[in-house]
Amino acid sequence: MASEDRSVSHAPEKKEEAAATAGFDDLVDPRFQCCVCLELIYKPVVIACGHMSCFWCVHRAMDYHRQSYCAICRQPYIHFPSICQLLHHLLLKLEPVEYKKREKEVLETEKSNGTHSPQNIDLLYSKGNNYENGKDGDSKLEGSKIGFPGEDSVDVSCPLCKELLYQPAVLNCGHVYCVSCLPSLGDEALKCQVCGGLHPGGFPNVCLDLDHFLEEYFPSEYESRRNQLKPENSQYNPEGSSSGTSCSKDNMDRQAKGGTNVQKNLNLSNVHIGVGCDSCGVYPIMGMRYKCKDCTERIGFDLCGECYNNRSKLPGRFNQQHTSDHRMELDNTRLYGGLIAQLALIGAGGIGEAIADDHEIEDDTDEDAELL
Amino acid sequence: MARGENSESHGSGNVPASSPAAASSTAKQAPAAARGAEGQSVVRRLQSELMALMMGGDPGVSAFPEGDNIFQWIGTIDGSAATVYEGTSYRLGLAFPSDYPYKPPKVRFETPCFHPNVDTHGNICLDILQDKWSSAYDVRTILLSIQSLLGEPNNDSPLNTQAAALWANQEEFRKMVEKLYKAA
Repeated sequence: MASEDRSVSHAPEKKEEAAATAGFDDLVDPRFQCCVCLELIYKPVVIACGHMSCFWCVHRAMDYHRQSYCAICRQPYIHFPSICQLLHHLLLKLEPVEYKKREKEVLETEKSNGTHSPQNIDLLYSKGNNYENGKDGDSKLEGSKIGFPGEDSVDVSCPLCKELLYQPAVLNCGHVYCVSCLPSLGDEALKCQVCGGLHPGGFPNVCLDLDHFLEEYFPSEYESRRNQLKPENSQYNPEGSSSGTSCSKDNMDRQAKGGTNVQKNLNLSNVHIGVGCDSCGVYPIMGMRYKCKDCTERIGFDLCGECYNNRSKLPGRFNQQHTSDHRMELDNTRLYGGLIAQLALIGAGGIGEAIADDHEIEDDTDEDAELL
Repeated sequence: MARGENSESHGSGNVPASSPAAASSTAKQAPAAARGAEGQSVVRRLQSELMALMMGGDPGVSAFPEGDNIFQWIGTIDGSAATVYEGTSYRLGLAFPSDYPYKPPKVRFETPCFHPNVDTHGNICLDILQDKWSSAYDVRTILLSIQSLLGEPNNDSPLNTQAAALWANQEEFRKMVEKLYKAA
């Protein structure tokens, strides 16, 4: 369990007061500004390159038919990561007023769009996955030492070494480890100790914004961590996310070995346009796509072949109320190859135009077919 | 999760840049799109950018919305010192799509500009305004990029072949820059 020293429970009072009265320009920490919406990051998502944005800002920037590139460093990625709970609570703690304001704004937007983002962030990605039990806060994650001691403090220790996070890296599942602890999570694929989720691909880069924050907020403890790890950490990429595309050699090897070889989606024909996996977050899904027959949410619930075979029991990434007794079926309706065939029939416009109106794609096809 | 399926509303947020739909999303259509909640976030982002530009301010570049429409801006770029554009000041129009900043604004010179990567209609060939666009770019970085493009053209893929050919002769090039600039 984290010591009191390492939790942000005793944030200076004056900071909260400042946040209560100040606008965004006076945020305690400008590094938590989203580069896309230019507001305080809400429901932070950290991409494998170590850069973070809001949940919706990352998802909306992702390419619907091929790999995406980080807006800051252009490193390619294909997995939409889960919300980072640690950062979520940290921001709520640091900027309570602004963060609540963002929450309200985003909820309004979601309401008018008919979209949803995860609501029970603490329980969503825990091992037990007992999100139906409702309210977060009083329940500690089973089987892990991470918790949120106190009323609203935030634990910033590594679940493996139990010490202050040093050069933190965020896995696809949103859980944070010291980059030097990651090799202990497995040889072939990194398996999160907190939620049991497999991290697709290689080592994530250090999240430098969080790293610098911890260095400033816990100077003495951070310094002792630095000294303690000095002899061993040279093999990792100390530049972290600022270096963008330059990965350490180890990282490159990992990426080559790992399943996230972004090259594989060069083959467009097996891409499911605009469909993502609700378990691992791969977007778009390539190869097999399984769609839930019982989820009633408009966004649907889908799994990639791998996650389907692993019998993932995660709820949806967009707050779908998917349960394990729902029926799943193979679905090829959004397969690129199939769409091309449909367009060849109607002969007009081209794929770009059709996808631009993709929510009407099936209706359009029918209408045009009638015209012919 | 499936985007755009079953008439999900934010599916239009990803229009291929080359499609007719994107090409026609000019300032005239933008306010209509701005009525939705998505539009609200675009407006907020543009307002933040405007604030930052007014507070900070880089030498030689500026921008401001044209009239009441926050989706249509006018920018100005001063030619950098020690380039053939020194002493000039160019007006540019920036039209933001309703899915900005996921898609780049349409930017064109309104002041005629003699430059290898600018055509006679003011269209600009610059990678960050096309396939190399990133949602982390903003008006400020766009204008600074165009400002540096002025002094460092990409002569390998010219829109104005005459300008590209003349670039080697800086003295003659300067005369053409002035001739076109003064005519405006």
